[in-house]
Amino acid sequence: MIKQFFVILILSIVGYFLVDAFFKVPFGEKRDNVGNYYIEKSPVDLKVSNSVTAIVVNYRGFDTLGEVTVLFLAATGLGSIMYRRKQKGEKEVRAKNPSSRIIQIGSQILFPMIILLGGYVFIHGHLSPGGGFQGGAIIATASLLMLISYRKFKVSHNAITWIESIAGVVFASLGFIGLVLGRTFLENFLPTGELNDLLSGGIIGIIYIAVGFKVASELTGVIDTVLLNNRPEAQKEN
Amino acid sequence: METIFTYLGYFFVALGAIFLFLGALGIYRMPDLYTRVQAGTKASTLGAMSLILGVAFLEPDWWIKLLIMILFIAFSNPLSSHAIARGSYKHNLKPFSKEQVDAYEEVEESKEEQK
Repeated sequence: MIKQFFVILILSIVGYFLVDAFFKVPFGEKRDNVGNYYIEKSPVDLKVSNSVTAIVVNYRGFDTLGEVTVLFLAATGLGSIMYRRKQKGEKEVRAKNPSSRIIQIGSQILFPMIILLGGYVFIHGHLSPGGGFQGGAIIATASLLMLISYRKFKVSHNAITWIESIAGVVFASLGFIGLVLGRTFLENFLPTGELNDLLSGGIIGIIYIAVGFKVASELTGVIDTVLLNNRPEAQKEN
Repeated sequence: METIFTYLGYFFVALGAIFLFLGALGIYRMPDLYTRVQAGTKASTLGAMSLILGVAFLEPDWWIKLLIMILFIAFSNPLSSHAIARGSYKHNLKPFSKEQVDAYEEVEESKEEQK
């Protein structure tokens, strides 16, 4: 009885404050102060023409670090679930049939073009739409093309791990340098340059390049893991 | 300022739109995968390329970028359709037509005989 009384008491206190806060929210009024601040300040303070990038990497840079960590955790979890120890005499083969000559030649032509596009997208992340995540995904698509065209195309997981670690360390250490030289984590300590220049925006460009490498290597690892280990019956036949 | 290039550009854009429409119609109307793939590939590749060519006539400053786009479409679109058609053939998808002509199998058999 007394336990139920306490539960009701606590619930009513929580409910009172929730309702109180709910009625303090002004409905039907314009409340876009933060949005206007970002749109007005990002070309002036940071000299970044793409204000989405300015928000993602600078104003909310800590969130982006968290997102990169989430992606890393997802890739690691998938790898640990899908990992299958190779049995004796088993060759790592992805598909039963090799793909045709046309696709192999064509993917050789398309592969550098897709890599170039991905690199362009994440290097120009602060100038045009796109950024590290998108560019990394495009590069991972290029490696997917190679993986489905060539049965024996191997992705070096050592190299992937190294690229991923270095990119993550660059991101985090840029944040700590900002903490040391300035006041806050991920503070922009480099000169911002001119608006619409390639070398503008201070640390934003460097962070997006690091994010691009990180996302590309993580997604490539995910694709390789899924394609390689999901077909035990194909592996036995070879 | 309407020169011959403007009219030529409009002509190619309209031609491209017609080809794209025919490609979409073919994907909607054709009975099985192989005919749909061929409608989608031929019509949409030619349609997109002629549309971009029309834009190149209308805006001559962009021609390098548009040429790169035409090359990219010429590489990627037939390639992906070829991959789809070959993959479905390898998975034993039968064509719609009553006359079961299989020229691809004959070629493969003659290759194996040569070995």
